[in-house]
Order: sequence, then C-alpha cells, then structure tokens
Amino acid sequence: MASIEYLIIFTVIASLVAYLLTALQRFVGSVFTIFATMFVFVSLAAYGFGLDLETTTRLLPNLSFSQSYLGFYFVIIIAFVYLMVSFFHPHFIDKYPYKNSYNMLFLLSLSGIIGAFYSDHFIQLFFFFELIIWTTMFLIPQGKSQEAAVSYFGFSVFGSVMLLLAVFLIYQDTGTFDINQGLALLSTNSQIFVFVLFILSGLTKLGAFPLHTWLPEAHGNAPHPFSPVLSGALVKLGAFIALLALVRIAPMATTIPAIGLPVGHLIVAILGSLSIVFGTLMAIREDDAKKLLAYSSMSHGGYLLVAFSAFNEFAFAGGLYHILAHALASAGAFMAIAAVARATGTTKMKELGGMIHKMPITYLAYLIAIISMAGIPPMGGFISKWLIFQAVISRGMILVGIAVFFGSVGSFLYVFRPLAALFLGQEFKEYKHVKEAPLLMLIPTFIIMILNIYTGILPGEIIAYINRIIIENTSFQTVTATAFTVTATYGTLHAGLIALIFGVGVAIAFVIFILLKKSRKVDLMNTYTAANFVHDEHLLHYSVDFYAPLERLYEKHSHWMRTFYRALAEKIKEIGKFGKSLLMSNHIGNAILWIIIIVIFLIGGGLL
Amino acid sequence: MIINILIGIGVALFGFVLQTSLGGLNRKIVGRLQKRHGPRWYQEFIDIFKLLSKKSVSHGWIFDFGVIMALGGIIATAMFMPLTSSFLAFEGFDNFFIFVYLLAVGMLGMAMSASGSGNPWASIGVMRALTTMLAYEVPFLIVVMTIINVSDTSSLTGIQLFQQTAGNNWFLIALPLGALVGFIALMGMLGKKPFETYIAPAEIASGPMVEYGGKQLGMLFILHEISVFIEVSLFVHLFLGGASSLWIFLIKYVAVYTLANLISNVYGRFKIDQVVTFFYKWPLILAVTQAVIAIYFGWVI
Repeated sequence: MASIEYLIIFTVIASLVAYLLTALQRFVGSVFTIFATMFVFVSLAAYGFGLDLETTTRLLPNLSFSQSYLGFYFVIIIAFVYLMVSFFHPHFIDKYPYKNSYNMLFLLSLSGIIGAFYSDHFIQLFFFFELIIWTTMFLIPQGKSQEAAVSYFGFSVFGSVMLLLAVFLIYQDTGTFDINQGLALLSTNSQIFVFVLFILSGLTKLGAFPLHTWLPEAHGNAPHPFSPVLSGALVKLGAFIALLALVRIAPMATTIPAIGLPVGHLIVAILGSLSIVFGTLMAIREDDAKKLLAYSSMSHGGYLLVAFSAFNEFAFAGGLYHILAHALASAGAFMAIAAVARATGTTKMKELGGMIHKMPITYLAYLIAIISMAGIPPMGGFISKWLIFQAVISRGMILVGIAVFFGSVGSFLYVFRPLAALFLGQEFKEYKHVKEAPLLMLIPTFIIMILNIYTGILPGEIIAYINRIIIENTSFQTVTATAFTVTATYGTLHAGLIALIFGVGVAIAFVIFILLKKSRKVDLMNTYTAANFVHDEHLLHYSVDFYAPLERLYEKHSHWMRTFYRALAEKIKEIGKFGKSLLMSNHIGNAILWIIIIVIFLIGGGLL
Repeated sequence: MIINILIGIGVALFGFVLQTSLGGLNRKIVGRLQKRHGPRWYQEFIDIFKLLSKKSVSHGWIFDFGVIMALGGIIATAMFMPLTSSFLAFEGFDNFFIFVYLLAVGMLGMAMSASGSGNPWASIGVMRALTTMLAYEVPFLIVVMTIINVSDTSSLTGIQLFQQTAGNNWFLIALPLGALVGFIALMGMLGKKPFETYIAPAEIASGPMVEYGGKQLGMLFILHEISVFIEVSLFVHLFLGGASSLWIFLIKYVAVYTLANLISNVYGRFKIDQVVTFFYKWPLILAVTQAVIAIYFGWVI
C-alpha cells in the first residue's frame, strides 16, 4: 500500500540523491531521475485510480491529505508529463549551467505537485503551490533568459497573493482551512470576493488574458525539455484553481436570462475568449517555434476557461478532456521541437528547414501532436473541442462562439507554420550532419504519439472517469458514452468510426496511388522557378513572415499589453525612486523634512 | 458495417462523378456566356484520366504521403455525407462538425505535401489558402451555430428533417441573413472569384499546385471535385431544406453550384488581406445579427 506521505518523502529524498549523483556523474544522475519519476508515476497509477492511496500521516504529523477523483486526474496527467520529459534529461543535462540542481529541482517540483493535489488544507495547498513556483523559478533561467524567470516569478507572486488572500477570507468567513468545508460553507457575500480572487489567481497561473505576458517568455526561454512540463502540466494548476472557483464556488448572484449563466461566469468566459483570440493572433506572427507553442497554450487555456464557465456537464467534461488532450498534444509538440533544438541548436524557424529528411520520427510525433492541438479528428483534441462547442452553442454564447471558432481555425494556421518552415521545405546544407533523436528520446515520443491517437479513438474510458469527477464535484448529469462514442446535446460522435473511415479513405487513396505509374524521384532544388536560376536553397525556402499579409492587418496592435505592463513597471519603479529619495538620501533637505514631519506628528499626533 | 462502408464509398464516388460532370457542364455554360463554344461536358473526366495515366516526378516521401492523406481525408468526409434526409451511409453519425474538421485533415495533407515540394510558390499558396480559411470559416460557423441552436440537432439529416416538417421554412427563408453569409462563405470555400486568391493563376503560378503533375495532380483534381461536392451539399442541406429524394437533391445541387459559378465569373480577384477584412466586416456583422435575432429574440420566420 502506497501512502501519499511516503511518496512525497520519497520524492524529496530522491531529489537530494539526484543532486549528489548528478554531481558525481551526470548521466547516472539523470537516469536516476528517470527511475525516480517512473516510481512515482507507477505508484500513483497503481493505487490512485481507485483512490486506494493511504492518506494517514505518521512522519509528517502536521500535514493532512485526502484524495479525490478530481485531484487524481490532474496529478496523474502532470506526473505523466514529468515522466515523459525525464527521458530527455540524459541528453540535455550537459547544456545547463547548473547541472546538479536541475535534476534536484525537477524532482522537488514533482513532490510539490503531489502535495498540492492531495491536500485538503488550504494553507498546505498554498505551501505546495509555492514549492512548485520556487523550484520552477530556478529551473527556467537554466534556459535562454534570466529575465523570463523574473517575469514568471513576478506574475506568480501576484497569483499566490490572491490565493492567500482568498484563503484568509474563507477562514474569516467559515473558521476552517479545510478545502471542502471551506468552499461549502462560504456565505453569499464572501463567495463573490473569493470567486474574484480565485479567478485572478487562476488566470495568472493559466497565463490567460490579461495576465499572460509571462507565459510566452517563460515557456519560450525555459530549458528545452522543461517547456513541455510548463505548458503541458504546470499551467493546469491555474485551470484547477479556476475550476474550483467556477464549479465549486459558483456564485449564482445575478443570472443573465438569455444565456442562463451568472454574470461572473460570463465575464470569465469572455476573458477566456480574449485569451483564445490573443493567443491565436500572437502565435500566428511568432517566429520562434517554442514561443509559438507557448502562445498556443495561452489560447488553449482560454478554451479551459470557456469550458468551465459554460457550466453544464458537456462543457465540464469537455474542459477536463481538453486538459488531457492538450497536455499530450503540447508535450508532444514541445518535445519534438526540443529534439530539433538539440540537434541544430536553434528554435528560430527562419534558420531551419527540411528537418523531415533527417528526423522523420520526430516529424511524425509533431504532426500527430498538432493534429490533436488543432482539434482535427481522429485525435483527442477534436473530442474535447466538440464537447465545448456543444455547450457554447446550447448556451447561445455568440461572442464566445466567435472566439472559440476563430481559435479553432486559427490553430490550423499557427501549428502549420513550424511544420512548413521547420520540418518541410528545402534542406539546408548546414544541417547535413543532423541525425534522428537518440533512442532514449524516441521512447516518450512514441508513447505520446500512441496516447494522442488513443484519446481520439477511444473516449469511453476517459469519459467514464470524468463522470466520476462530475458526480463527485457537481450536480450535473453524467455524460453518456460507450467505448467509441460520446453523446452530447446535439447528437452523438462516433470517434472510432471516424478513425476507421479515415483509414478506409487513406487505403483507397493509397491503392489509387500505388496502381498508377511509379514517379521519378527528383531533388528538392529541382523545382519550377519561373526560368530563374536559383542556386541557394535558402532562397527557395519560404519561412520568414509566413503569414505576412495577415500579420500586417494587426501587427500595429500586437504590443499593447506588453507596453501596458512596461508602463506599469515604470510607474512602480518611479514610486520606489520617490520612496528611496525620501528615506535613503542624505541630503540636508530630506533631514529637515523628516524633522518637521516628526515634530508635527509629536505635536498633533495626540489629536488624531 | 461492411455494407455501410460500401454505401459510403458509393456516396463518395457519386459525388465525384456528379461534380466532375457538372464542372464540365459549367465550363460549357461559362463558355457560352463568353460567346465561345466551350469544351465538351466530359472534358474534366478526360483531364483527370489523362493526368492519372502520365508519368510524373516526386519530391520525396512527404510529397506523395501528403497527397494520399489529403485524398483519403476527403474521401472519408464524403463517405459521411447524406444525400437525402434518409439516404446516408452511417445513420446518426452525420454530425456537422465532422464535415468541417475531417475536411481539414485533407487540407492539412495537401498543405503538407505542397510545402514538402520545396517550392516557395506552393508555400505562398498554402499560406493564402489557410488565411482564406480563417476568413470564411468564422462567419460560416456562427451561422451554423444559429442553425444548430434553432433546430436543436447537429446532425445533417436532423437539420434537413427540421426544415422539411410542416410549419418550418427552409433556413434560406427562416434565416435570410444567415443564408446570405452562408452563400458568401460557400464562394470562399469553393475558391471562386473573388476569393480565388490562393490559386491565383498567373500571379503565384497556380499556388499550392505548382509542383504537381501526373498522378499526383490527377489525385488532387479528384480531391478538388469531391471537396466541392461536400461543400455544396452542405449548403443544400443546411439552407435549402435538404432533399427528400435524390432528384430534388440533384436539382438543388446543380442550381447552387451553377449560381456560384455564374457569380464568380463577373468578379475580379481580391488581394488576400482584402479577403480577410471583407469576411470580418459584413458577413461577420450579418452572421452575428442573425444569431442575435434568432437565438435571443427567437424570431425565426
């Protein structure tokens, strides 16, 4: 019988061992990290599904744990992403400035994850959240930029403070720090405040509009194998908090009759819509493949907000399904880009091309991941988006609908961009030496490919598990599903049938193709160039400013949020300067000013 | 199940034959409009079979694989398409979103193959095609959202039956603004002028298709015919009350395609950014107006 307490202690000890081992021998330390992560994942998977973990504490007497289907759903997805990513460590560890601490912090943040989702005590939850933030804050600067970590930390602190404030409000109102009791006993008045604070905290961690500027910086500049964790796993913490606010607290004060939703939910849905539109537009014009995927995570975070605020069983199930589908898709895509970056040393799309001929398996992994990410069948992303669409349509949320559809079609545009610029197109001479990723890195790639397809073909098992979460946390009906089908408001989706028919279609096309005359293979440079002699493959590679005509329509406005935060930061600095000049300067005028103030206070203080 | 799959393949084949003949016929109609004789009605078949029989070149495995994936995706989409309100291969699973998103697999395959050819003109064409898609899909999906909300089903046969029940009008009449948007979006989907920017002959050397020849081009021609069949049938089923028999379907289909083709022939070509600004101006405003009227006020004629 595994106990949560033991798991946490094990992970913490393992992190110290990983530190020592990595200091002695980098490769061994990294392999140890793989096994430690695998142990955690396997014990969670073995006991967690049926909620069979031991929750009593012996060695950590002041902590208390409880398990729920909801918490387990998050924890298993995140632990899975951690496990997949750990396979990349042995091949990346040499690239970091602080090699020993990388493995240690990685495992420490995993222990934070386990603690956070199994806590039933708010202060404890806050502690583990902080553990995650502090460990990841030291992981991010091991990548390209230190500034990214500062921005990440600044926003995270804002989110944490909001969370802490909400926790104190709950305590003041109900007298308990227990999560379930606290949320249940809240009075109507404090509900609204707690709701707002939770949403603010959730938006920050999710990287949703308008608190998103840290996300592309942090995800884009983090170490290559850590970006999948950030995007596939850690932003889901924000989704968890937002879910608590939208589904568990759900203040029903004033309801808008036309769509049957409370005002708070509608506002969150609109913020989610703005995240979708913003993320999509920014991703379309991004040149760095990792930043592009980071903006896509922002847009997918918006889908989660829309799903949880549409507030019916299909949206809720769709949102939870989307967490899984996006974790797999974004982990897959980021890992493919990481493999390319390892081989070529860059993630800038304008510097890359024709990688498909060198790394076909990585290409396939990326292709499958983006099909899911764009919500195209037969992958998981289609099912979750389909469920969310049902809810948006039945609520009649027109403006949200525009955003949801825009994000869905826009995702074809941005996910295609790395495909065209980085993997396809001309093959560059400078990357002649590049080889396919090593076997250790292909293992997780294959596993994620298979799971991406699995979530798109066999939704039954997953929906059945989500139904347990629905019963546990909400008063909604359960979602009807068989092994291959899902039924929602406006009809039934047969995921297995779609995959089968797609297979039939491809088989027919293949037969047509194979029966006809074999074609002659020609070089990539042997193309139609309108009678110009082009000798350099760079000139035949269309990758810079791919969507230039579209970008031109909105590029003027693309920086306004960043300008806003810059200005805000400037203002805060100025206030600081003002304070500094008052308190820290040894100019005589200041001394006189303070003497006068103190004298006035001494004389008049009694009157106040 | 085998029988259903065979019916589905039959539907796809029917769509191909129907659209290819109609395409040829329309070339003749346009010819007459321009005071020419125009080609014979089966000219398109000749073109396709000639291409399929010729020897061609290939730019690597993704170039071929993309074409196979594209044609496969489109055939799969066509297999789900109902012809009338009772004639379809997979009953109960003709969900509207399948058509939009399964079609996208085909388009992704084609885009992949075109970019894999290594020709920048092809990539420009793909970029334009995707941008056009971003333009027309959003207003179109808002209208479809209204239709699904009003008719309470997302199944295409369900939507047809809803329009065919006594007391309900076709959505062309019930949602006139929406139908107008739907038709404009259809022109975009079909790549008819003024929205044919991504093919743009003589400007970007036929866009995505620039590197193709022989069997690959022939397969893309088949793909094009079937995808036109899917898009026009969608319009017939969504706005024109669908069809209760095959003959009615044929009449409506021919009427819609010919009308789109005739309108196309009096227009010039938009620039790609004009396509985007156009669709995000009037069609989107009309679509939202229609949605507000129909969903919030419940005013459906």
